[in-house]
Amino acid sequence: MKVSWLQDQLPQLAEHLESSAEELNGLDAQLGDGDLGVTMVRGSRQLLEIREELPDDWGMALLKCAQAFTKTSGSSYGTILATGLMAMAKQKKGQAEMDSSEWAGLLKVALEAMQHRGKAKLGQKTVLDPVSAAQKKLESDPETGLLDLIEVVQQTIDEFRDKPCQIGRARIFQDKSIGLDDPGMVAFKRLLEGIVPN
Amino acid sequence: MKKLLNDPYKYVDEMLVGMCAAHPEIYRQTGEGGRVIARAGSQRPDKVGIVSGGGSGHLPVFTGYVGHGLLDACAIGDVFASPSVEQMAEAMKVAHAGAGVLRLYGNYGGDVMNFDMAGEQLEMEEDIQSTTVLLADDVSSAPPEEGEKRRGVAGMVYAFKIAGAAAEQMRSLEEVTRIAQETADSCRSVGAALTPCTIPQAGKATFEIADDEMEMGMGIHGEPGVWRDKLKPADDIAHEMVDRLIADRAIDSGDRLSVMVNSLGATPPEELYILYRVVKKRVEELGATIVMPLVGRYATSMEMSGVSMTFCFLNQEREALLQAPARCAFWQVE
Repeated sequence: MKVSWLQDQLPQLAEHLESSAEELNGLDAQLGDGDLGVTMVRGSRQLLEIREELPDDWGMALLKCAQAFTKTSGSSYGTILATGLMAMAKQKKGQAEMDSSEWAGLLKVALEAMQHRGKAKLGQKTVLDPVSAAQKKLESDPETGLLDLIEVVQQTIDEFRDKPCQIGRARIFQDKSIGLDDPGMVAFKRLLEGIVPN
Repeated sequence: MKKLLNDPYKYVDEMLVGMCAAHPEIYRQTGEGGRVIARAGSQRPDKVGIVSGGGSGHLPVFTGYVGHGLLDACAIGDVFASPSVEQMAEAMKVAHAGAGVLRLYGNYGGDVMNFDMAGEQLEMEEDIQSTTVLLADDVSSAPPEEGEKRRGVAGMVYAFKIAGAAAEQMRSLEEVTRIAQETADSCRSVGAALTPCTIPQAGKATFEIADDEMEMGMGIHGEPGVWRDKLKPADDIAHEMVDRLIADRAIDSGDRLSVMVNSLGATPPEELYILYRVVKKRVEELGATIVMPLVGRYATSMEMSGVSMTFCFLNQEREALLQAPARCAFWQVE
């Protein structure tokens, strides 16, 4: 697929994130500062704004997507997300084509970069856990479609619901986080849902 | 909350406008939203750029230290909040004059994440070479074996000064980075808080403490310290702070070091001088020499009352660079 594929998905992604904003803010408010929905909405509005200008080079296009989040927010989640996009951007620099067989490898570098930047480990109830689950699924079956990936992400959310969050601001409320969905995991799911072609 | 302010959400922006208006020969405001402070005038070609950044509320740290012989540019966030990646990247672009950029700032998770990200973006987009040196000088924030987890506090003033002087001598990025790292490694700080401060946007104190209590080892954002108890006499506090610093890095006979006794905001210079006389005696009893002591308000936490003490161990190179000329609105070295 070419960058134009991504460009085609951006309007519905933005729409989906707009409609998820309240849910994400609410989840975040129970454990953090309650602005995760705002972070995602600001980022996706910026994505819409630069949609037409996205270059054909996947590397530079993904860099611009990363910047859409870093430009509009100082929040850690925005930076972590952008870090994953940047790591993928570096892999794809100078390439106009992307094949779904590359996804497993790209998610792998993204996951490593996000882990390194956020100093978080797998299993601490963060966005890293569903990213890792999706990556493993793609590795075992490169033909996995987006809908199946979203299912894997939902399973991870379910699996972690009753565990305590062990990093970030939410770790201060470890016990309180038990029984709550991690806002970052949910935001990741909403992102994937947003790019499923209609 | 009793503060001179208008809209709390404009607190930082109005402060920056005023600071640049008061010292137009030193500062200029740039970047999206004006959240980058750069030196007035143009960059000297091929000088290594030094940038810093972090939350507001610590003046003169960080923006105040933009100036000749110090920083080239600085990204500034809301009070106690990290600047965005974009603002940090803008600061780096402004500071880049062809010889690369050193990012020199305190070890706080959000700042590190955003600054690393900014560096990566610039490398990919514009091929600007950059390095990082983190200050992690607060001895109370983690034990020595976890030194990399320590927070950066007033020691960064020494790093700005010494690395800034090295950059003015047109040394390479590699050299400036080495000197900055060695300075960071040579600094040890400890703080003690008597009262909290209020973040304008939050509108309430960062922590609660009784009228007759103090907290030893507290961080500059109110991070918990090592003990809280009844306020002690000044000399006892000074002795304990010296003890904590030398327990972390011993002072040997013949050592040369600069000592900073710093107000966290509301503590007046009078009280700092009461503490300094104890520090001087203690350091000299160990056979060491104090060079260029700094007593005053160098790194603050809004209107918190309290004090921090920093030792910066010197060698010949660092001593000469510390004493080289520098000028910003808050500090001049002639």
